Amino acid sequence: MPRPSFLDEIETRSGVTVSVCYQCCRCTNGCPVAEHMDIVPHRVIGYILSGEREKVVASASPWTCLQCATCSLRCPNGIDVARVFETLRQISAASGLAAKNDVRHFDDLIIDSVERHGRLAEMETIMRYRLSKRQFLKDAAMGLDMLKKGRIGLSSHDIRGRKQLGTIIRRMRGHGDR
Amino acid sequence: MITLSYFPGCSLTSSSSFYDRSLRRVLSFYGVELRELEDWSCCGAAAAPAMGHDLADVLNARNIAIAERSGLHLLAPCSACYARTRASAVKIAGDRSTRKMVNEALAPMSAKGSVEVRNVIEAFLQYVGVERIAASVAYGINSIRAVPYYGCLLTRIMDVPSSDDVEDPSGMDVLLDALGASVVPWQFKTECCGAGSTVTDSDRTAHLSGRIMAMALKAGANAVVTTCPLCQLNLDLTAHLRTDLPGVPVLFLTEIFELALFGRAEGSRNHLISMAGIEGSVEVLGGMGA
Repeated sequence: MPRPSFLDEIETRSGVTVSVCYQCCRCTNGCPVAEHMDIVPHRVIGYILSGEREKVVASASPWTCLQCATCSLRCPNGIDVARVFETLRQISAASGLAAKNDVRHFDDLIIDSVERHGRLAEMETIMRYRLSKRQFLKDAAMGLDMLKKGRIGLSSHDIRGRKQLGTIIRRMRGHGDR
Repeated sequence: MITLSYFPGCSLTSSSSFYDRSLRRVLSFYGVELRELEDWSCCGAAAAPAMGHDLADVLNARNIAIAERSGLHLLAPCSACYARTRASAVKIAGDRSTRKMVNEALAPMSAKGSVEVRNVIEAFLQYVGVERIAASVAYGINSIRAVPYYGCLLTRIMDVPSSDDVEDPSGMDVLLDALGASVVPWQFKTECCGAGSTVTDSDRTAHLSGRIMAMALKAGANAVVTTCPLCQLNLDLTAHLRTDLPGVPVLFLTEIFELALFGRAEGSRNHLISMAGIEGSVEVLGGMGA
């Protein structure tokens, strides 16, 4: 069997040598959210090895992943599985499949905030997310308690270098890596 | 007297500003001066690397460049800031093409990746020292049965050597013991709290942080102690997300220092799960306290 081009694509983009995987399942066994994934981690890696691009790119698993990196730590072959999942997020987003994904949407709002302020304006970003999802009363009691206990930063700070940084972020965020 | 460069990060200027005050208060007691990074920016957390690894490295390179101007070691209390800054610094130092890419993007700023980054545990161990910490204790806190909770990013940074055991870290255990707290052994030191999923899928955080809280209760703890602002917030939020659990308070490590040094923690009102019971159990040590 010739080496699948998808395997090359993943290895080049992530810088991780995936082809040393022998499917021992340790990544899946240690994953705190494997039960919520449509394709569990070792199978995602397996599909990359066999070049099944469509299946992998359509999977929601990279977005279910919390980037805790337990998989990467425990892989006996040193495969940084979390990094591969991060790369899959980039590929999934570039393919347009992630357009409706909540995690990607929230990530976008976070980077929007950094682009405009230089820092994450927590309250503003969460409000933008809730409004866009029309979740007007979601976790309202929790939010009120947080507000009462001083756990919500109401003001945001604009850094002096925000124009320069904003220009860099605008230029880079749509283009992926070198 | 030691001076450190200080990267508070977004959380410590908003939802966890009491952690910033607590950290400053305790370090200043030990004569460690913090010089805040001038005009620092966000580390990009988990959002930037999902857009592009180059973008993430550029965001961190900006802070690294500012820190390197001072020549001081850099303290980053937030686990995300610490992990991202350290990982990018190692990459910028070791990979010529990454160094070139970030410095072209940020010119005239320039990063070498040489900055030494420390988390709160490393900072206490290295710049204050266990013996000095033990000698400074003025209040008895052995009624605090603490489970040390490290979370994901303190030890699990890929391609970067960890200063502690990656599966069973002990740096915080050592500090808590020196402060006189009762350290309770448990298996969930480095489990994941749910991270940023609290906004997009609060059931996920309820499940993961709930598991950690349930294990703390089962271990017989009356406090969870952490250094990460997101871990602290997620576990504290189990007050709302897991009303089925009688949660124990979730303290920042620096708040345990406050209790042992000063008898009270100034940010106690900022806790969602009340720490009043714990604060009330602190005892003045004979002849040494206030």
